[in-house]
Amino acid sequence: MNARIFSARWRATSGPWALLCTVVAFVYVFSLGPILITTAVSFNQTNRSFFPPRGFSLRWWERALTPEWLDPLLFSLKLGTFTALLSTLLALPLAFALYRYRFRGREALVALTLGPLMLPTLVTGVGLLQLFQYVGWREHIGFAALLVGHVVICMPFAVRTVSISLQTLPPNLELAAASLGATPVRTLRHIVFPLIKSGLVAGAVFAFIHSFTDVNLSIFLARPGEVPITVKILGFLEFGFAPTLAAVSVITLLLPLILVAIVERVSGLGDFIYGDRRG
Amino acid sequence: MADPALRLVGIEKHYATVAAVAGINLEVNEGEFVTLLGPSGCGKTTTLGLIAGFFPPTAGEIYLKGRPVADLPSFRRDIGVVFQDYALFPHMSAAANVAFGLRMRNVPQPEITKRVADALDLVQLVGLGERRPLQMSGGQRQRVALARALVINPTVLLLDEPLSNLDLKLREEMRIEIAAIQRRLGITTVFVTHDQSEALVMSNRIAVMNAGRIEQIGEPADIYERPATRFVAEFIGRMNMFAGQVTPARTVRTAAGTEIDLPVPASIVTGAEVHVAVRPERTRLVRDKPADGLALRGALRQVLYLGATREFHVALDAGQRGLVETPNDGAAPSFETGATVWLAASFANCRVLPAPS
Repeated sequence: MNARIFSARWRATSGPWALLCTVVAFVYVFSLGPILITTAVSFNQTNRSFFPPRGFSLRWWERALTPEWLDPLLFSLKLGTFTALLSTLLALPLAFALYRYRFRGREALVALTLGPLMLPTLVTGVGLLQLFQYVGWREHIGFAALLVGHVVICMPFAVRTVSISLQTLPPNLELAAASLGATPVRTLRHIVFPLIKSGLVAGAVFAFIHSFTDVNLSIFLARPGEVPITVKILGFLEFGFAPTLAAVSVITLLLPLILVAIVERVSGLGDFIYGDRRG
Repeated sequence: MADPALRLVGIEKHYATVAAVAGINLEVNEGEFVTLLGPSGCGKTTTLGLIAGFFPPTAGEIYLKGRPVADLPSFRRDIGVVFQDYALFPHMSAAANVAFGLRMRNVPQPEITKRVADALDLVQLVGLGERRPLQMSGGQRQRVALARALVINPTVLLLDEPLSNLDLKLREEMRIEIAAIQRRLGITTVFVTHDQSEALVMSNRIAVMNAGRIEQIGEPADIYERPATRFVAEFIGRMNMFAGQVTPARTVRTAAGTEIDLPVPASIVTGAEVHVAVRPERTRLVRDKPADGLALRGALRQVLYLGATREFHVALDAGQRGLVETPNDGAAPSFETGATVWLAASFANCRVLPAPS
């Protein structure tokens, strides 16, 4: 529909069009550039991170694919998966309560749920660390504490996507189902759930990505042997940037991308992430 | 004596301090088509929701075939509802939408298949069962919604302004079709609309609602010919209203001072303010004062050409406005704007209504 506005004649003659092209080019250069450079650097033959790379070797990749790096990667995958599942499970009833009913304290609960979105995760991390120490759960610092922290910072995404899909549900569907003899449970199963599925999946995906890429909170709650990949990378950076890190970065970058692609294939959440195709 | 299919006794619904439904009594007989007609906000859709069980009444009881159901949730009431927006399940095909109520009743699959096919046939959607609602036109969606509500053989069928989203032509067709299906199946139906012509065409009886109450209930001709209140008179069709007062001789003296000998209902006391009501199509314009009947003098202000009819707007000497509607018989109107004319009607076509206090 908008294609008409950008008619060929308009394009050929207009300054704004040229400006738009320039801006888009810059966005691509700065978002794709680092990825391409990092990938290239990981194939260096030398010990230093030259760009363009000197020679070609897979030695940094060999080093990246050892348990030293694979363990934190797997740990992050596990943490992200659990975070995504837990966040979505909690988000479903929460979104129902917050956006379907009017009750005392609702506003406060909304603020409490979505609050972590606006808080620096660094602060949440420090706070959680102190809390765990204060209540004597020192031994749970590591996976358990990380899971709690990640659910806190990731759940707002799931609550948002689920509540958006709840709000886009046509208003009378549940009444129609009830009038046709469906109990509330069966209405939820046959009508509501299939229609908000893409919101649930999108919420889970956002939660996973947010968890997988978090470093600010994780840095406080990790412990030896239970370290997410981001924290591991940060720690390694203290010794300077090596091509190993470039290889690790590429893997870290590709893993969630592949995962999202699989989920997109299986459940078609495209509607949610790229805008509504149903119109 | 058999119980009526549906009976509402003293039904009220309050929201905070506002009474959306302020005491409704209604009996709908087996196989009857009753319309709740009224302006928006009159409580008609709320009443429908109460019958459907979407929310509980504040007071009163609802009986379906003699069984009190006010405390039962919607899914235990055995009612069929067609919504204004159809409320079709977008992730299911038309056939699956129709099958939903049968599935919820655990009807065996072969029977579901047969009954869904019959229902789609009934609403003339044979061959379209596999389409999704979004791939269908408004009229087709409406038919799916109707089939979905009918296939479960509900005790009562509830229709909530089902035609208001269709364009005029289709709306007029569907009126007749829905009424025909209803008569054929003999299914007890409550229909909600704000459209008086829908109500007149489709109903066995019409309940005119205003401010949460039923103002008048009766057959369409009853409501149109013998409106009981000024509200009903003005809501259904158009009505000339001339203010007057009941004299001790039980006649009506109009504001202009003429006394007219009309039957005054016994419920209206002597001295009360009243309105003399007469339909525009039952009046005529004349040049000289007629010998008998209602006659009010005024100046012709406007002549509107409407194709099938003409409308004459008259500024009456008493300060009120009069409207005369005549069929267009092809002849030019014999009055010009500005002319002094008499608005005339026979007494048989006039009714005396109490003025709202």
